Amino acid sequence: MALALIKKAVLSNPNSLRKTIGIFCNASRNHWNYQYKPGPYPRTEEERAAAAKKYGLLVEEYQPYPEDMGYGDYPKMPDIGTDSKDPHYPYDLPDLKRNFNEPFHARAEIIGEDRYDISMRPRIPVWQQLTWFVGTVGGCFLLYFFLEDYKVGRPVTAKQYPHDGPHYLFSPK
Amino acid sequence: MGQFMGSFNAREVDLYMDDKPTFNPQDGFSYNRKEREMIAKEEDLVSAKIPPKYRDYCSHYLLEYQVCRYKNMPLVYKCAHEKHNYLNCEHQDYILRMKEFERERRLRLRENRLVGVA
Repeated sequence: MALALIKKAVLSNPNSLRKTIGIFCNASRNHWNYQYKPGPYPRTEEERAAAAKKYGLLVEEYQPYPEDMGYGDYPKMPDIGTDSKDPHYPYDLPDLKRNFNEPFHARAEIIGEDRYDISMRPRIPVWQQLTWFVGTVGGCFLLYFFLEDYKVGRPVTAKQYPHDGPHYLFSPK
Repeated sequence: MGQFMGSFNAREVDLYMDDKPTFNPQDGFSYNRKEREMIAKEEDLVSAKIPPKYRDYCSHYLLEYQVCRYKNMPLVYKCAHEKHNYLNCEHQDYILRMKEFERERRLRLRENRLVGVA
């Protein structure tokens, strides 16, 4: 860290150095889990309002998770995967399709663009996909079991080898 | 169609491709059938490393062909006659197997007919 700071001071302008110190101090002073923990579950209206303000939401749209889930006062965001968000909207952070100070979904790391889209609507309904799959594979199996009784082959007997005992030609001795 | 449907009707007498003949080979012949003879010696085939599945009644031609290839190695076109002999022999072998199949089929039909009469 110190080396990085010296490098900054020597190679870059002092303004950049000041910012970098700020980032480093913030990272080293606020990195314990209890500092990221949500507050206790809000029971009264005032607590709800305080929690909504803390997460940058309106009171009307603030909705905590059920208390027994253990998320405290963390807001329950709508289940929209990053992949399902509008790609043409001018986001502050286009890479994450996120605006500045927009609260994260509690499971944001699993519904990101690189993982799973929780709100994906398939172009073809799943029951149709399943019907097509079962129809095709099942049809192949039905055909197979039906044709099991109709085996065909070339009209030849087994190949004759000397060790299988005497074989005869169709001509007289 | 001949290759594909060849044994289709034989299923009526429960006869399929690569079955073994079940009747006495002399049945229905007025003369004694000639026995097939193995010309190549087993130890020669072993020594030439001919795989067991090729050690049939034509293997003396195969042996000749392989010897020729060994002697003329880069110029294997010189072994065209040996190869032709070998393939002709295999062709005759296949025809014999087809005849045996047809014989087996007809004998089975005949047996069914006799059982039906009795």
